[in-house]
Amino acid sequence: MMRYLIVTVAVFVAVFLTGLSLASYRETFEKEFMLSPWSIAKGEVSACIQCHTSENMEPRIHQHVQEWRGSWHAKNNVSCHDCHGGAPEDASMSMMHQRGFKGAPKDTEIPQFCGTCHIAIQDNYIKSGHGKTFISTGEGPSCVTCHGSHNIQQASMDIINEQLCSQCHTYERAKEMKQALFLVENKLNTIANDLKRLKLFGIGTDMQEKAFFRNHAEYRALFHSINVDAVRAKSSEYTQKLEIIEAEINDSFKQLAFRRNFSAYLFLIFIGLGIVVLLLSKSYEQKSS
Amino acid sequence: MWGKLVHWIEIRIGLEELVNKHLRLFRTPKGANFWSTLGFVSLIAFIVQAITGIMLLLYYVPHPEYAFQSVQTITNEIPFGWFFRSIHNVGGNLIVAVIIIHLVHVFLRVSYKKPREITWVTGVLMFLLVLLACITGQLLPWHQTGFWQTTVTSTIPSFLPVIGEGISSYMRGGASVSGITLSRFFSFHVVILPVFIVALMILHVLLIRRQGLSTSPAVEPEADASPPEEFRREPHLEGHPCFPHFSVKRSFMVMFYFTVLFFILTFFPNLFLPAEANIQADPLLTPEAIRPAWYFLAPYQLIKTIPNDVMGISLVVIFSMVLLFWPFLDAKDAGRNIRKRPMLLSLGLIVLALWAIFTIWGMYS
Repeated sequence: MMRYLIVTVAVFVAVFLTGLSLASYRETFEKEFMLSPWSIAKGEVSACIQCHTSENMEPRIHQHVQEWRGSWHAKNNVSCHDCHGGAPEDASMSMMHQRGFKGAPKDTEIPQFCGTCHIAIQDNYIKSGHGKTFISTGEGPSCVTCHGSHNIQQASMDIINEQLCSQCHTYERAKEMKQALFLVENKLNTIANDLKRLKLFGIGTDMQEKAFFRNHAEYRALFHSINVDAVRAKSSEYTQKLEIIEAEINDSFKQLAFRRNFSAYLFLIFIGLGIVVLLLSKSYEQKSS
Repeated sequence: MWGKLVHWIEIRIGLEELVNKHLRLFRTPKGANFWSTLGFVSLIAFIVQAITGIMLLLYYVPHPEYAFQSVQTITNEIPFGWFFRSIHNVGGNLIVAVIIIHLVHVFLRVSYKKPREITWVTGVLMFLLVLLACITGQLLPWHQTGFWQTTVTSTIPSFLPVIGEGISSYMRGGASVSGITLSRFFSFHVVILPVFIVALMILHVLLIRRQGLSTSPAVEPEADASPPEEFRREPHLEGHPCFPHFSVKRSFMVMFYFTVLFFILTFFPNLFLPAEANIQADPLLTPEAIRPAWYFLAPYQLIKTIPNDVMGISLVVIFSMVLLFWPFLDAKDAGRNIRKRPMLLSLGLIVLALWAIFTIWGMYS
């Protein structure tokens, strides 16, 4: 029996060692699963990135990809072709206009360029003082003035700051807008964090997330009108809508607390039962000794 | 009333004789302690998995479009669905831990020696099948963690020469993880593997009942523990009846198992459910960090560390084979007291230390 087993193990070793020559597996294995950073979405493996990060390109072009990698767009899987068009899967045709390639927009085309996705924001921006000035004079703030072009981060109230706004006008009016936004923005941030926490604990938040996203997008779109009165007038309406979501979130937290308490109750019961059984076991041991 | 009920049962199935024959007359050896009950705890842990699994099965839909949503429905809408899911999830990890401790205990007591070789082999086979059940189970909720863990796990066998590609392809049912993989893993997880595990479990328990529990070489003299040349059940005259002495010890360890289970559920409910486990599987989006479950971290890190992956995967397979057939590879004439066998003790401790080092390394690499 022993001999057969030794032979079997030896055969296994021999078969596996013959495979040592198949080192090409390693390359694929490491590239695909072991050493490649998991954070890179498959969408990133595109002709745009491969070419724009090649050694032939100027450092300025490399910078675009680097900035995008740290952006809110990258985190949400929005890749180069989603804004610039083209065919990322086909290097030879990737920049052909026939394949929808738009390239970099001229300054005056920026609102329309971003507005392809951010439709409501574009509408409000065009009607605003910012938009009207930009369209009539070609000067003034466009999307990239406040949000940047490739290193776009999740928008927050911090964008409204003296340094940025006072490039064109005094900060007073912007400050008024920031104050008008404060309460609702605060609520939006609290809800966003609560939803993240609930999701982490496996609580279904799909309905609340959808409602939150809708209100969040509408409110952000409204802000781009740069109309303090309109923002103030609508703030209470949005506060009420957000309070409904908050109430549902609170119910979910109560459910979470119930789950924890229920488990804790059973935990204590089993500790108690364990102690009883242990004492019983000790008493049997004493009896038999 | 109670007496009448017992009498009613007694005249129909002879309960008294059954208890006497299988529990009171079945004696456990002198020195049988709480560690000796881990096999029974594994059995209870398996039953817990079976019951909670059946509860989940009532609402689960094994289809890529509905699987994630059905698990979300179980967790959030079905009354106490979260409870069954959490127990099944945490219990799946605990059962592996209990079996590993049981295996180490049996190894250190050298209880696998003649005539208990088959008991060891069935035990290790069950362990490997439980690991397979864990692999197949992690894909079923169709979340990001499970999807990408399966992608990694099902790629590893492909580095075995000749048969590797076939194993990977069979596991996935194609080139990548898809609906076919889900359907295949579902069949394995809920039917095929449990049937084999239960069959091995019956054989394992039958062998223990026939041969009796092994004595502790530290308590019983070495001469008495010499391997028999013909079948005999160890009478353990100096020991205690299984019922109530050993049964109470077993009950204590079962209580301890549930205490640990509910401790995790109370204080670390998402210990085995990372954030990505709440996101539906997306084949086009790899999560930020993906690692196999803790019990696969050591082999995973070993394959990563060894310069040639064929060598790495071969080592894992060879280790599994050696573990499975260890009773036949161990020195026949050597005694059972591991304190008198420094080489065996060192081997065991080195393997355990390496396993711990590779697991921790895999966790932080």
